[in-house]
Amino acid sequence: MPPRHPIRILAATLVLAVGLSSLGHATESTLLNVSYDVSRELYKDIHPTFVAHWKAKTGESLTINQSHGGSSKQAMSVAAGLEADVITMNQSPDIDILVERGGLVAADWRKRLPHDASPYTTTSVFLVRKGNPKQIRDWSDLARPGLAVIVPNPKTSGNGRFTYLAAWGYALQRVGAGGTAADAAAREFVSKLLANVPVLDGGGRGATTTFTQRGVGDVLVTFENEAVLIGKEVGEGKFDIVYPSVSIDAPAPVAVVDKVVEKRGTRKQAQAYLEFLFTPEGQEIIARHYFRPRDPAVLKKYAARFPAIRTFSVDGLLGGWKAVQQAHFADGGIYDQIIVRK
Amino acid sequence: MSIEVKNIRKSFGNFVALDDVSLEFPSGELVALLGPSGCGKTTLLRIIAGLEAADSGTVLLEGDDASDTHVRERQVGFVFQHYALFRHMSVFENVAFGLRVKPRRQRPSEAEIQRKVHELLTLVQLDFLADRYPAQLSGGQRQRIALARALAVEPRVLLLDEPFGALDAKVRKELRQWLRRLHDELHITSIFVTHDQEEALEVADRVVLMNHGRIEQTGTPREVVEQPGTAFVADFVNLDDHGPAWLVEAKIRHRGYVLHAVNDADSPALSRIDLAA
Amino acid sequence: MAAAAALHVPAGTLGHFDYQASPATREANWLRWTLLTLSLAFFAFFLLLPLVAVFVEALRKGWGTYLTALTDPDALSAIRLTLLAAAISVPLNLVFGIAAAWAIAKFEFRGKQFLITLIDLPFSVSPVIAGLVWVLIFGAQGWVGPWAAEHDLKVIFAVPGIVLATIFVTFPFVARELIPLMEAQGREEEEAAIVLGATGWQAFWRVTLPNVKWGLLYGVILCNARAMGEFGAVSVVSGHIRGLTNTLPLHVEILYNEYNFAAAFAVASILALLALVTLAIKTFIEYQHARAMAASTE
Repeated sequence: MPPRHPIRILAATLVLAVGLSSLGHATESTLLNVSYDVSRELYKDIHPTFVAHWKAKTGESLTINQSHGGSSKQAMSVAAGLEADVITMNQSPDIDILVERGGLVAADWRKRLPHDASPYTTTSVFLVRKGNPKQIRDWSDLARPGLAVIVPNPKTSGNGRFTYLAAWGYALQRVGAGGTAADAAAREFVSKLLANVPVLDGGGRGATTTFTQRGVGDVLVTFENEAVLIGKEVGEGKFDIVYPSVSIDAPAPVAVVDKVVEKRGTRKQAQAYLEFLFTPEGQEIIARHYFRPRDPAVLKKYAARFPAIRTFSVDGLLGGWKAVQQAHFADGGIYDQIIVRK
Repeated sequence: MSIEVKNIRKSFGNFVALDDVSLEFPSGELVALLGPSGCGKTTLLRIIAGLEAADSGTVLLEGDDASDTHVRERQVGFVFQHYALFRHMSVFENVAFGLRVKPRRQRPSEAEIQRKVHELLTLVQLDFLADRYPAQLSGGQRQRIALARALAVEPRVLLLDEPFGALDAKVRKELRQWLRRLHDELHITSIFVTHDQEEALEVADRVVLMNHGRIEQTGTPREVVEQPGTAFVADFVNLDDHGPAWLVEAKIRHRGYVLHAVNDADSPALSRIDLAA
Repeated sequence: MAAAAALHVPAGTLGHFDYQASPATREANWLRWTLLTLSLAFFAFFLLLPLVAVFVEALRKGWGTYLTALTDPDALSAIRLTLLAAAISVPLNLVFGIAAAWAIAKFEFRGKQFLITLIDLPFSVSPVIAGLVWVLIFGAQGWVGPWAAEHDLKVIFAVPGIVLATIFVTFPFVARELIPLMEAQGREEEEAAIVLGATGWQAFWRVTLPNVKWGLLYGVILCNARAMGEFGAVSVVSGHIRGLTNTLPLHVEILYNEYNFAAAFAVASILALLALVTLAIKTFIEYQHARAMAASTE
């Protein structure tokens, strides 16, 4: 072996490595949107439109990078230093945590954009096997003995959390009255429903795979946009979507990460980007991805996609996220008690 | 080159390997360090080579303190008990190694290296094995290659650590006589370590007997056999009836003349006297 | 060779001790075949089938889709980043691994056992933890995170973090491969080289390294395979920024989660190909090594 050869290879490798790594740097302005795992296609469509819009308005070229993953995990990454200019989540606790952790986001983030800073909502619906062989029509059917219900884990995913709260809210409303009697009834109902869950998958996509690929379960409870996507992408004609009598309003909140935009000097762009989501143009793109737009005109235009459904909200019926977190999802909370009893 | 060690001490943990050892090795002699295993003889050899550092004491090479001289500058040839041949190199490359690693200015030309290596291989009578690898050689062949490799750098001193220890009895005998002849030819100051009395007495000009890190006796083979200084020496060189013998006087008849020869030197000893001849 | 030669012993030389039929020394036919079938089936099911599945799924929608998936800018960036992470971490671990193995195998020093344990650490901790430690150190609330942020150094959620995590999980491969080899070889050859006038550097390049080169190459290949395939640790520190910090394994997961199965398997097939190339190199090296061994002992 020639003695100096390996050193040369090493040196060449390092030079190559440094060269390659410098390719990633861009000179123009960039924004990073850290989001949850199913919004990728939506933002992929939003970006070129907004970038063109921004260029026309200011003359500045903009590159928008996307990061997607489990919603709470993404929030933790931002807390740990992932430099997100904006975060777009599917439940507000994942933004609130950034208010608590290091004050990355200002406490009044909900007030800074219309509709409590959520450009669109979705809702929990049922996906059943073609022809609905088990005749599943409403939440009450999910608690029927002998039925297998697939839901994502409410402890670790926003999707599962909304499913759980939707069932809880349904039961509350069925009893009609408030107070302890209604709580007891809701608890009874949700216990029965969860007793029908054979496996709790960690995230929305995991539950989907269980239901569609492994063929486990009679019904999958998931977000409306997800249910439509499954019908189109995974098994055309294999599944039917069932809208229950009532469901939960699941708004997707967005916020500028104040600390980051101040440091990077991108507040203007970040704010404009989020505001764009509320414009008719942005709302159109949102509607095309089966998220329910806020703009009444756009919603009307796509009415065929979004059957009217009565919804209740976490703030309206369940006393807000803070109360819900404490009562249901804290360690030893109602959810834990139900699961242990099961 | 002469070698002198003064007041060498060395211990490994609680074990004292060398306890105030002082010795002189005159130029051109073949000296055996003899003693049972653990007596410190290998440690002494390694300290002379520079492979081990003494706790205290000095090593003088040609009268100069070599304590601060690095191994590679001491110009010693070292032959390891298990040969330590470079297993990934051919016999030729093994012998050429010492020449190839010389600083660029002192390095001989390729032709010179070729000539010198073949000369050395011829000296050890193994030129025909130049292209083989160490794993393909017998023990005796390996040891001779190791010696040729050590000689390639023209060392001022040759140090051999149990050079025949790993060989079978027959090969040992052949090889030690060969070593003696080689020494007579090259006259390079040589020290070899052995625990085999017969080997030491038969090959060496002088024998240094060591025990427990101390020197018991130094002398010619005949001196240590005939006048053992301590009970240990007497016991250690006691070879019963097959001990070494020395030719002291001889009468040789040739065409009517009688040649009367007297041998005053005490070495080397003869390994065998054939009375039948 | 010995076994083959034994089979050619002419009939009769073994007398009436017919070795082949002796019930005491030979398993029953059915047992042999059952074992063989079982192990082959096991091999096919656990190794071959998934490999085939990857390629079948990748090409399910045809070559067009396959190539589109691979030439997607995000996929290309993932390939580039994966190769980059391997290109940095493998040489570094090569150097660290050799240094660590050398120190452990050739010298006695206080804390040697501790160092050996430390080298094994990445094997024994979960990759997720391996990622989280870097978040703990370089995260916004970490030990050096605030300092790094002040100096505008991005470590986690950027390429350096990915490289760090990769180095961490692949650290043991080279050192682990070399330590037993170097220990078995001892110090004599190096001492011989030094006595012959070699500098420490020369002894290392000409004696130490050539003696362990096969083991070293093997370690490097394993190290490289793991560096390119690492998921857990890298996932934690990546930040998942498309086109910037997604490695191949992360990209596969994302595509899969987006129901983009064909693309996911197409990208996975690249990883599988890289693994196969690695295996091919490994086999070639073993073959060369066997030949070298045979040549030196024949």
